[in-house]
Amino acid sequence: MNKVITPSQYLAKTFGLTPAQLDKVLGVAVGSRDKGAFSDIYFQVGTTEGLVFDQGILKNPSRSDVSGAGVRFVIGDKTGYSYTDHVNFRNLTAAARNAATIALHANAVEPVQVGPKRQQHNLYPLEGILIGLPLQEKVDLLMMIDKECRKYDPRIKNATVSLSIQEETVIIVTSLGDLILDRRPLVRLGVTCLAEEGARRESGSSSGGGRVDFEFFLEDERWKKHAHKAAQEAIGLLSAVPAPAGEMTVVLGNGWPGVLIHEAVGHGLEGDFNRKGTSAFSKMIGQKVASDLCTIIDDGTVPGRRGSLNIDDEGVPTSNTVLIEKGVLKGYLQDRTNGGLMRHGSTGNGRRESYRHVPMPRMTNTYLAGGQSTPEEIIKSVKRGLYAVTFGGGQVDITNGDYTFSATSAILIEDGKLTKAVKGATLIGNGPKSLHHVAMVGNDMALDEGTGTCGKRGQSVPVGVGMPTIRIDGVTVGGTSR
Amino acid sequence: MKNEKARLEALAQFIIGEASRMGASDSDVSISTWTSVDTTVRLGEVEKLETAAQGRSLSLRVFVGKVVTSASTSDFTRRNLTKLVRSTIVLAKAAQPDEFAGLPDKEDLASLVPDLDLTDTAIAKLSVADKISMAKSCEDTARSFDARVTNSQGASFSDSFGLTVYANSRGFTGSYNGSRCSLSCSVVAQEGDSMQTDGWFASNRKLAKLGTPDSIGAEAARRVLRRLGAVPGKSQEVPVVFDPVMAAQLLGQFAGVAHGASIYRRTSFLVDRLGEQVACPELTIIDDGLIPGGLGSRPFNGEGQASRQRTIVDNGKLASYFLDSYSARKLGVKPNGGSQSNLYIKPGTKTPEEIIASVKNGLYLTHVSGPGFNGVTGDYSRGASGIWIENGELAQPVQEITIAGNVLEMLKSIEAIGDDLEFRSSVASPTLKIGSMMIAGK
Repeated sequence: MNKVITPSQYLAKTFGLTPAQLDKVLGVAVGSRDKGAFSDIYFQVGTTEGLVFDQGILKNPSRSDVSGAGVRFVIGDKTGYSYTDHVNFRNLTAAARNAATIALHANAVEPVQVGPKRQQHNLYPLEGILIGLPLQEKVDLLMMIDKECRKYDPRIKNATVSLSIQEETVIIVTSLGDLILDRRPLVRLGVTCLAEEGARRESGSSSGGGRVDFEFFLEDERWKKHAHKAAQEAIGLLSAVPAPAGEMTVVLGNGWPGVLIHEAVGHGLEGDFNRKGTSAFSKMIGQKVASDLCTIIDDGTVPGRRGSLNIDDEGVPTSNTVLIEKGVLKGYLQDRTNGGLMRHGSTGNGRRESYRHVPMPRMTNTYLAGGQSTPEEIIKSVKRGLYAVTFGGGQVDITNGDYTFSATSAILIEDGKLTKAVKGATLIGNGPKSLHHVAMVGNDMALDEGTGTCGKRGQSVPVGVGMPTIRIDGVTVGGTSR
Repeated sequence: MKNEKARLEALAQFIIGEASRMGASDSDVSISTWTSVDTTVRLGEVEKLETAAQGRSLSLRVFVGKVVTSASTSDFTRRNLTKLVRSTIVLAKAAQPDEFAGLPDKEDLASLVPDLDLTDTAIAKLSVADKISMAKSCEDTARSFDARVTNSQGASFSDSFGLTVYANSRGFTGSYNGSRCSLSCSVVAQEGDSMQTDGWFASNRKLAKLGTPDSIGAEAARRVLRRLGAVPGKSQEVPVVFDPVMAAQLLGQFAGVAHGASIYRRTSFLVDRLGEQVACPELTIIDDGLIPGGLGSRPFNGEGQASRQRTIVDNGKLASYFLDSYSARKLGVKPNGGSQSNLYIKPGTKTPEEIIASVKNGLYLTHVSGPGFNGVTGDYSRGASGIWIENGELAQPVQEITIAGNVLEMLKSIEAIGDDLEFRSSVASPTLKIGSMMIAGK
């Protein structure tokens, strides 16, 4: 293993393609008539192994192979795209011809600029093999987790444990002369527990992973933490009372609650919406959009993280982008097309779900930087409010700025103390407005466990989020009790 | 197309033969191939053209006694497929038995493949220029509808043709073609400080039934304009009228926890409730995989079982779950065709206007946001926006609120079911009036 293989060797070995043929394909896409146009080919070859342990038995182990390529042609603000699931010279040429038909619709929009040159990172070096490990080793882990969940409390009646192990090789060839290979591991462990007591049933879950190998879950007994967290949430909910409805102070725990940042500001700062002027944050660079305590960063370069990438899906090395500094809006997330048209250059945030999709500006790992307060001080400062630690996902309306994120369970704060467990509730706010009400920021900044998947225009990509414990005042909580 | 069918059916049988030769006791194969074109225009110009000339994927399951394993690939070469079958069987030999695993019983397999009128040659005859022009005229109508429509996220015309093949080692081989086209448009409106986006769409297997680009564009404009000037709502408990799109979403969430897997895992609030009243007596939910030309129609399901019409909720009583062969065996009952196909709520007699007029103070719901639904308990809490109803009239757009309740209680408190059922996707509902929900706002 770890034998260095060049991108050209890989393409020759896997698809029988020669460098001359690649040039021809790119040449079909970028004809001589199309000055300033850009084209690329995105190759993707990979395997995902999936295991589910449910109701005490292993269920349907699966293996899924992907192999394909997409050819893109960009001229000004116009994009042509075509893909094939059967990569060979003939099919790539046909795809390039399809993509190039966009040239018929070219207008006078200025050509795309190239972003700053950065080096490809090495954020997830792999020591051994990832795919094809003996099944038993993985099954043993899942069984251990199942046992641990059931041991936690006799009211835990079922555990569903899933493990996904993926390894992909991405190769990007561009008309600018790039030829880059990136080998991307991605593993994820998910645990869901069902608790039953009398007629009441509740579930709790926990998951994590990253661009690491399978051993990750064994280190520091991470698997055990997921088992306990999932079981604890399910058991806690058995006695939870309905969540309150209305405006109140909310304390969010560190890590995954950072989904707030992803929804409230992250999406609204993606370059495509801002170039088109459809974001609530459009034309707000330099303006105060959050309290002084808020510094928000998107960082694709954190080693081993689920949202990290050595290069984005356009071959541009990822970077660390300050989006908001001490409350002031500083920057957007850009891909080649939008970054070029807005004269910012790419920030290395051009991502796509697969070779079947066109890249667009997406987040990587997005987080709120740490502050001064201790989590204890923050909780103590609240007379009546909600402490929310476990969250599902969220969603945002880019244009009016309304965002939601949903707590799966929470605890009431009364006179500075955590009191009753309450059921899940959706929290809602408005992006450019609500972060002005961030009143305290904790010193316990953490990224999430490595579980998030972000959807945009039908494309899903793995992302990370992060946050320290924070206090926000005047958040609308969507419970059912007065 | 005929050749393609024969070729892929032969490929499926080749795989089944290989599996049996290498020691599988049973196996099945699903293949799908497709072509698609997506055209997007924005501000009157073509923005994006995407095509898939030869999309394809193949998945297979092998059974070795009571052990099952599966694999998928897009590499259709026989050499690769033989290799894949071999490695899948090797995996099966290392895995564990599951006493409920297995192919459907022979008597449950479809005995014929009915023609459900799922394709339209009119779509195939469209040129890319025709598609662009439909998207353009849709966006033009939306943009010129009102001066307050100031920007656009674009309009798209998309179409696709697909072929689905399924074969198993119990003698079933079937295939069918399907096509669909869709047209969508999303625009931005601005007035003072208020900027809003909304859109409209249509999707159909028949081009002639898609609706005109004009009508879709005009509806997109109407929908965005009525959001302008939205204010945060106030916390209170009121009736909520779900528009047909919102009602269909609620229906989809309800159906999601009526699947066999949620029932045997006991992760659904519908567990142990067959025959019980789970909704108001006027509510009937049907799933029908045999509707000619339906977006969710299919002659057989992913395991070769015949499609049929199923009543999920019969006059408020839970009548059946969605059962594939595995979950049926687990629950000790007969399978009924597996996952949902065309799912809808039977229309009532009131017009949407009459329903709105019946509300003195309440919400007309047009958008929800966030996951906010717990299928185990039925607890529901989502971000929302819509139009406030005052004295029976749509009066004031509202945003930045949440609506919350429990789906079981919500369905039981339904006070009116509209007459406006229309299939825009495979899940459809008329307007629904829920008696009472908690609104949280300022």
